[in-house]
Amino acid sequence: MKKQLKFIVNGNPYDIWIEPRLLLVQVLRDELRLTGTHRGCDSGTCCVCTVNIDGKAVKSCSVLALQANGKEVLTIEGMANGPKLHPVQEAFVDNWAFQCGFCTSGQIMASNALLKENPNPTREEVQHAMDGHLCRCTGYNMINEAIRDAAGRLQAQKSEEKAK
Amino acid sequence: MKNIIFDFEYLAPKTLEEALTMLSQYNEEERKVIAGGQSLLILMRQKLITPQYLIDIKGLSDLEYIKFDKKEGLKIGALTIHRAVELSPIIQKEFSVLSEMEQNLSNVETRNWGTIGGDIAHADPCGDPAVVLIALNARLKLNGPSGERTMDAEDFTVDFFETALQPGELLTEIQVPVLPPNTGVKFTKYNQISGDLGLASVAMSITLDKDKKTCSDVRIALGGVAPAPIRAKKAEDILKGKKISDALLAEAGQAASEEASPTTDIQATDEYRRELVKVLVKRVGVEALARAKKA
Amino acid sequence: MSEYSIIGKPTRNVDGPAKVSGEAIYTFDMVLPNMLYGKLLRSPYPHAKIISIDTSEAEKLQGVKAVITGKDTPGGKYGLWRRFPELCDQTALAMDKVRFIGDPVAAVAAVTAEIAERALDLINVEYEILPAVFEPLEAIKDDAPLLHDDISNNINITRHVEWGDVDEAFKNSDYVREDRFIYGSQATASTEVHNSLASYDKGTGRLTVWSSTQSPYYLQLGLADALKMREGDIRVIKPHVGGGFGGKNSTMPDSVNAALLSMKTGMPVKIVYNREEEFTCTEHRTAMNLAVKMGFKKDGTIMAKEFKLITDGGAYTALGPTALYLTGTYATFPYNIPSYRYDGVRTYNNKMWSTSVRSFGATEAQYATEIQLDRAAHDLGISPIEIRRKNAMTPGYEAPGQYKVGSCGLLECIDKVEKRIKEKWTDLSKDEGVGFTTFAYMCGGIFNWIDTPYAFSGAMIKVNIDGTVDLFTQASDIGQGTNTVNVMICAEELGIGIEDIRLHPADTATTPVDLGAWASRETMMNGNAVKDAARNVKEKLIEIARMKLGENIVYDLEAKNKRIYLAIRPERGFSYYDIVKDAIKLNDGEPIIGVGHYTPHRKGMVSPAWAFGSMAVRVKVDREIGHVEVKDVIVAHDCGQPINPLGVRGQVEGSVHLGLGWGLCEEQPTDNGMVLNPSFADYKIIRTRDMPQIELHEVLTHEPEGPFGAKESAEGAVGPTAPAIANAIFHITGAEFSSNTLKPEKVWRAIREAEEKAKKPAKR
Ligand SMILES: Cc1cc2nc3c(=O)[nH]c(=O)nc-3n(C[C@H](O)[C@H](O)[C@H](O)COP(=O)(O)OP(=O)(O)OC[C@H]3O[C@@H](n4cnc5c(N)ncnc54)[C@H](O)[C@@H]3O)c2cc1C
Ligand code: FES
Ligand code: FES
Repeated sequence: MKKQLKFIVNGNPYDIWIEPRLLLVQVLRDELRLTGTHRGCDSGTCCVCTVNIDGKAVKSCSVLALQANGKEVLTIEGMANGPKLHPVQEAFVDNWAFQCGFCTSGQIMASNALLKENPNPTREEVQHAMDGHLCRCTGYNMINEAIRDAAGRLQAQKSEEKAK
Repeated sequence: MKNIIFDFEYLAPKTLEEALTMLSQYNEEERKVIAGGQSLLILMRQKLITPQYLIDIKGLSDLEYIKFDKKEGLKIGALTIHRAVELSPIIQKEFSVLSEMEQNLSNVETRNWGTIGGDIAHADPCGDPAVVLIALNARLKLNGPSGERTMDAEDFTVDFFETALQPGELLTEIQVPVLPPNTGVKFTKYNQISGDLGLASVAMSITLDKDKKTCSDVRIALGGVAPAPIRAKKAEDILKGKKISDALLAEAGQAASEEASPTTDIQATDEYRRELVKVLVKRVGVEALARAKKA
Repeated sequence: MSEYSIIGKPTRNVDGPAKVSGEAIYTFDMVLPNMLYGKLLRSPYPHAKIISIDTSEAEKLQGVKAVITGKDTPGGKYGLWRRFPELCDQTALAMDKVRFIGDPVAAVAAVTAEIAERALDLINVEYEILPAVFEPLEAIKDDAPLLHDDISNNINITRHVEWGDVDEAFKNSDYVREDRFIYGSQATASTEVHNSLASYDKGTGRLTVWSSTQSPYYLQLGLADALKMREGDIRVIKPHVGGGFGGKNSTMPDSVNAALLSMKTGMPVKIVYNREEEFTCTEHRTAMNLAVKMGFKKDGTIMAKEFKLITDGGAYTALGPTALYLTGTYATFPYNIPSYRYDGVRTYNNKMWSTSVRSFGATEAQYATEIQLDRAAHDLGISPIEIRRKNAMTPGYEAPGQYKVGSCGLLECIDKVEKRIKEKWTDLSKDEGVGFTTFAYMCGGIFNWIDTPYAFSGAMIKVNIDGTVDLFTQASDIGQGTNTVNVMICAEELGIGIEDIRLHPADTATTPVDLGAWASRETMMNGNAVKDAARNVKEKLIEIARMKLGENIVYDLEAKNKRIYLAIRPERGFSYYDIVKDAIKLNDGEPIIGVGHYTPHRKGMVSPAWAFGSMAVRVKVDREIGHVEVKDVIVAHDCGQPINPLGVRGQVEGSVHLGLGWGLCEEQPTDNGMVLNPSFADYKIIRTRDMPQIELHEVLTHEPEGPFGAKESAEGAVGPTAPAIANAIFHITGAEFSSNTLKPEKVWRAIREAEEKAKKPAKR
């Protein structure tokens, strides 16, 4: 029997009826066609599917969609401001922080949550916060550098906004 | 990719009472409780668990709390997420070992959604919270059809993925008594990959006499080396009432490794896991002792 | 310093904005109207005869649109070694028997993936279980069960290479040692699983397939063979691909069966593997047993080498023979080996077949070589660096009848790393040690086992009236950055900007053939083809410019910085954009098209060029529990002229990560043919906390064969990583290893053994 799911995704309210067995990642990808969130495993062990729920990094494959009822979900599609990439996204491009790009959405969403909690993380802090993320391509170091670069950009952006 | 391919009815109680009523309406085989689902959903995707009714207790906000009181000690609601335990200032101050344990439990993503109660109830012999809680002499509160009861954390897990929960019961609260004076607690787990489930883990709580020399009490808990987390009582006896030295800790490590009953799997042999216990008990002991001296 | 305006400059990935915004589309993300979901029923037995298959119940399930078994297929045999029909041993579905746990037996298409999966449970297969064999040394025995009726002793293919007088050289050696090694396999573990979407047009009889592949061309050929169709009637499109690492070269059952189901239903069909299928039923690194003998002079000079190899091939051929050939070749790199004898055998057995994983052949051969060298150096009283320097290959080196080395910066790499170790690692504790290794890697393969009549790479360019350029190439960007490299090469050659070029990659219907992304071939081979096509266009433009300038033919013209001008008087010239307009208008409006291609000539049998390098790791060992921490890595790498330094660094970082995995924690244990750890929970991959930083030094050389002097950078650094670690542990603890995957327990045991040995008085 279908159940009602009311939640906000990337700022847009949704009110849909879904099968209770659906995982959040299925609803995002298959129902809302937000395919930027990928899936890498069947065991909750790669974090490729990471999104933000109420600002926190969560694996969308390990959450029943109905558990997101009443919550605010942010996916990779909600990061950019129109055509303008988010500073984290910019930093990922400038630092060659992806290769195949399949894990990248998850990496960026986790970085986004991390930088909200810790605006100026050290290399070790980034390593600790990003440890669940499997990347088969990059060897992680360039991602770590991108995240710290993004931290700088976000801070610069903030002080710019303040100055205004 | 694997999804859940069977249908079930989804029930989301708002209060503990409602949840307990729902639990009593269906029998054990038909229903399952989901908290954070970090472990359960994987099993459902593998068709290892196929409930007809899924009772979602994640929304029970009345079971999401961390309270501390100098007399009563620490109380953690079962639905508190791992990350809240990790970041709680009062836990960092009074029971830093819990926060340290959480820092290496899986990853931020798991900790942001998974609950400490779910972890204990899941009863994975490699689960971390149970091991630390046993060393901390914690008790668990269970609520069920016949009311409320408490039990020692030590007695909760009875076998691989099996607990002392009676049909219709929920784990509702974790109670940790105030640490006695001059007590130091340390936990460590080892795996080749950081943050991974431990091949073996050790938690030790050492309480020293007033003179801060003799060990008046000690609790040693081992994880991942038996069907359930266990206490290494022989090892404790070696330390109790003595002035702890490196040699004595090595002896305790040897005893603990004999108390363990690990199995061999693709990750490691039983022999190696015993060796880990031996070494980790020694290392954890050194640090717990240092903490006790500083406490 | 550089004469280039684009080559050699750190350049953003052309796919970057799409990949960081979730807009890049992978096959995994694709859905077509009326699309069906396919699933494969796989064998639960390692070896069994199929007696009967009853699909009637599955067909009755509501939502199921088609169920097929081997009988419903054209039965075409396929494989990558197409030059040898007997090595094309795969079929879409099992015809009469299954040969490994996971061999596909039937395929279902349904309106949802869930229904397709439920339908699998309703298919009834009756098997007659046959005796099975799992280990190479068992498989070649006379009484072993045979996998393929006409292949005796399960010998898939053999290889012999020899030069010099090996026996004589061993006789003249002062020191000879023989070591044995045994390796397990390694999963490719791309984050995007294998998946394909096929759409058959009944009206035209043409098929379109989108697939997560490393080589659209190989897939096109594989499908043509399997489906008994003309390759031109099959269009393969490679969208963005979430990693390949060698596991996506072969035509796999997902593509063939999606195609068959689409042909049967007339609707598009998509098959997506799950992670368990990915671990158990896709290609992995070849497990093998090695026996290696080396002879030295007292001063460490290598006199001779003998190498015997038997590889664990699994049920089918695929790219396995290439692994066998390459291991035998790489066993001679990067050293001067005056006499060499290699005998390799690839065996069939009842497991998933093995083939190529990033740096295949090299990783396996180098582990043995580099460990053996350190043991020899230890016994001979020479330093590990000296023994390597003494034997290092130099430019122009030639292995008789096998391969030729062009540029080679190996000695410079050794010097660089040695210098950095001395400067940087001055504070080693007693539990820390250094391992030093060298490496070489190919820049694409030469031997034409796929049997293509085409050049190995091609490219096409169309120049539009406004000067924008459409670049068509089949090169497969699977994350390594080939798209960016090709655009950079095109821009440099034409003297225009990256923003002027629109790339149309990897669609067999619109791009000339390229063999795909393997053996680090794209920069060398496709890069050359793109450069050739751009040169072709440039010549046309220069002709117009020359005409307008009215200069004599002796004056060279150049295209650079969006201008075309006289080389000796740069101020005399025109804007590139104006010349393009003139060229089209003056030529009756004929479009400007350039074509280019590349095939290696007279470069031996293996590769047109070789990259070199050396590596050092700083390792800390916890002797009590055997934990190994890799604290720091230094790499010096001669990749010729780096095209994009950002991309080069990315490739080296990723290579080291994969090498660490093979060396320390990745393995695929099996029990009676069943993979025991088919998930990311049990298959251990290094995450960011355990990843060391890497100090990378580019040693510049100019490779005459490469585009702008470029060579490989995508795989070389995998191989030296694991032996460097093993060597470091050896130096600190005396522990010796004869296998990879140095899990803590293995290290702990080896240290205990070394301690025991040290206690006993030496025999010699
Ligand atoms: C990749 C990964 C790595 C992990 N690594 C670790 C690790 O290193 N250490 C570690 O300790 N754990 C680890 N875990 C386990 C995980 O952290 C816990 O199992 C998880 O937090 C369980 O909590 P949950 O709320 O998600 O429980 P769920 O998955 O919802 O439930 C787990 C089980 O407990 C039952 N249950 C839940 N709550 C209650 C309750 N209040 N009363 C009665 N029964 C209940 C459920 O019915 C179910 O059987 C890992 C998990 C993953 C996916
Ligand atoms: S897909 Fe791997 S953790 Fe979600
Ligand atoms: S970029 Fe390919 S998996 Fe991370």
